Amino acid sequence: MLKLGIDLGSSYTKGVLVNDENQIVDQFVVKTGFDFKRAASRIMTKFEEDYEIATPVYTCGYGRDQVDFEHISNSEIMALSKAVFTKFNKKCAVIDIGGQDTKFIKINQQGQVDKFKMNRKCAAGTGSFLEEIAFRLDISPLEFNTLTDEATEEVRINSYCTVFAISEIIGLIKKGATIANIAVGIYNSIIERCMEMVAADETIIITGGVPEKHPTIVRLFKKKFSKVESPENSQFFAAWGNILLNSQK
Amino acid sequence: MSKTQSGILRLESANVLKVVMSDYFKRLKDAEETAGKKIAWCTSVGPAELLYSMGFEVYFPENHGAMLGASKKADKYIPSAVAEGYSPDICSYLTSDIGAFLQNETPLQRSGFEAVPKPDILVYNTNQCHEVADWFSFYARHFDVPILGIHTPLGLNELSDTIINGVAEQFKALVPELEKVSPRKFDMDAFKKSIELSRDACVRWREVLEKAMHRPSPINFFDAAIHMGPIVVMRGTTYALDYYNVLYDELDDRIAKGISSVPNEKYRLYWEGMPLWYQLSNMARLFASLDTCVVASTYCNSWVFDDLDPADPFYSSALAYSKLFIVRSEEVKKEMLQEHLKDYAIDGIIYHDSKTCPRNSNNRFGLQNRLYEETNIPFLEINGDLNDPRCFSEEQSLIAIETFIQQLAEKIYS
Repeated sequence: MLKLGIDLGSSYTKGVLVNDENQIVDQFVVKTGFDFKRAASRIMTKFEEDYEIATPVYTCGYGRDQVDFEHISNSEIMALSKAVFTKFNKKCAVIDIGGQDTKFIKINQQGQVDKFKMNRKCAAGTGSFLEEIAFRLDISPLEFNTLTDEATEEVRINSYCTVFAISEIIGLIKKGATIANIAVGIYNSIIERCMEMVAADETIIITGGVPEKHPTIVRLFKKKFSKVESPENSQFFAAWGNILLNSQK
Repeated sequence: MSKTQSGILRLESANVLKVVMSDYFKRLKDAEETAGKKIAWCTSVGPAELLYSMGFEVYFPENHGAMLGASKKADKYIPSAVAEGYSPDICSYLTSDIGAFLQNETPLQRSGFEAVPKPDILVYNTNQCHEVADWFSFYARHFDVPILGIHTPLGLNELSDTIINGVAEQFKALVPELEKVSPRKFDMDAFKKSIELSRDACVRWREVLEKAMHRPSPINFFDAAIHMGPIVVMRGTTYALDYYNVLYDELDDRIAKGISSVPNEKYRLYWEGMPLWYQLSNMARLFASLDTCVVASTYCNSWVFDDLDPADPFYSSALAYSKLFIVRSEEVKKEMLQEHLKDYAIDGIIYHDSKTCPRNSNNRFGLQNRLYEETNIPFLEINGDLNDPRCFSEEQSLIAIETFIQQLAEKIYS
């Protein structure tokens, strides 16, 4: 029997299966859409094809209690912290960039959460910021990654607000800025919002769906800060940490 | 005893409170309808004692603002004030109150008022903020009535005699102007009596709040935010003192019987900043479900004017109303908070960063970090607003609060 952890986020729902040693055996992600229950069921159905799954299931995220099966829910911040500390086993700051939230978590040497913060009530510094700008520019959000390879300079985007940022970008285009240079500016804008939450000398672990899909963000983080790490498959960390949290109890 | 859905015990005194507040509004209505009686509007930490001693009935627009917030109607009214040129970024008590006025609506219509009681004079003290002067100025223009103000210096570290005497002179200077409108001439003995009643009520109110030092606490912040009505609007009268004697006795009784406000109290929090009026009951339920009692707050403790002294009414008024937390320097605020954290055995602090109330948002100049460094008491900052629900993300705050309690559990039980 394998244990299932599900992180029902605002944009994506992530599921991981772990064995008795709490090692990840399989993982799966679906778009959350408008129905948390459906998203969670799709994860469950997918895994049930190949595995026998134990109950309860461990859930976190916005839809943590919106599932049709027996579950134990947790805070995704506590779950993510647990996973990061299990992986890195050191004092660090976590920046998790998700679809709707950016979270900052300070983990102490004992693996406890000392402090955490979430982004203010707007899209700045989150995946929604990227998606909205991409939509207005009529490109795929993922294209920003490849565009940055052609960048020759860093254009600065000053506006916090997504709507104002789009107006600013239109102004930059009118002045002749290339989309490649603007793409770097867009990523740097996200990084700057994140850096409002963290001290410069900390070891920073970057997690979440956005850095996973946009590795350029991690690369740009590393240009600005010396102690930056971003583990693979980090968008599944909260789902995994969920199980780890409950394994302790 | 009646329980709410969350298992929170309802205070029986709430029945008395309802009558006390209803009678207060009846007195205002009577004043409005009776020739010779006068109504003064006053800010919530303004010179209520002086006004009551001179025979005014006293109406408090901030109390009205809180009513609009608690009735979840502020966002219906704010746009009207914005259309009138008042920014949505300024005090949402102000914008919701003026907006409701422009729409000719008030929760007082349920109590038989056609509109808020018309002022004969407006009196403010800027000890809490300067926006109250602009707020009252709107009504002074509209009703064409006199407006008087006390301008208190802010960010005070030491309360020097120079500062307090200066404020005391401003209190005294109100008298001849008030006498032009008041039903009665100023009478020192009446003022002293009003000061004495106010002081006694404030002491009783403080003792009510201090009951939460008991573990488990018989009262929580969300109750206190409701039960503070009389100390805000009836300072300087017997009504406030009488009410807090009733509430005090009930809390005493709860402690004797081992009755807690929140069932299974495990964690004790401090609330820094304004209440989220439109979320008061939701918040009460949420914390109760997390075995958490918010036992103390800056907000409720801000109506403890126990320096009032009938022997020296003007000076002591100036002192009491300048000693207030919101008037003080960051350093003094930190010391005041430290004292509360110790007295109430606080496990964690919630800072409500209220978008339109910067002076009641004490996490904007690093105080939260400095306090943490000295106390090691974890804190959480939530973004919201006192009255404007559009500034508050319920889902995000829910996750943050749940996580914070898990963080405290990890710290306390590890």
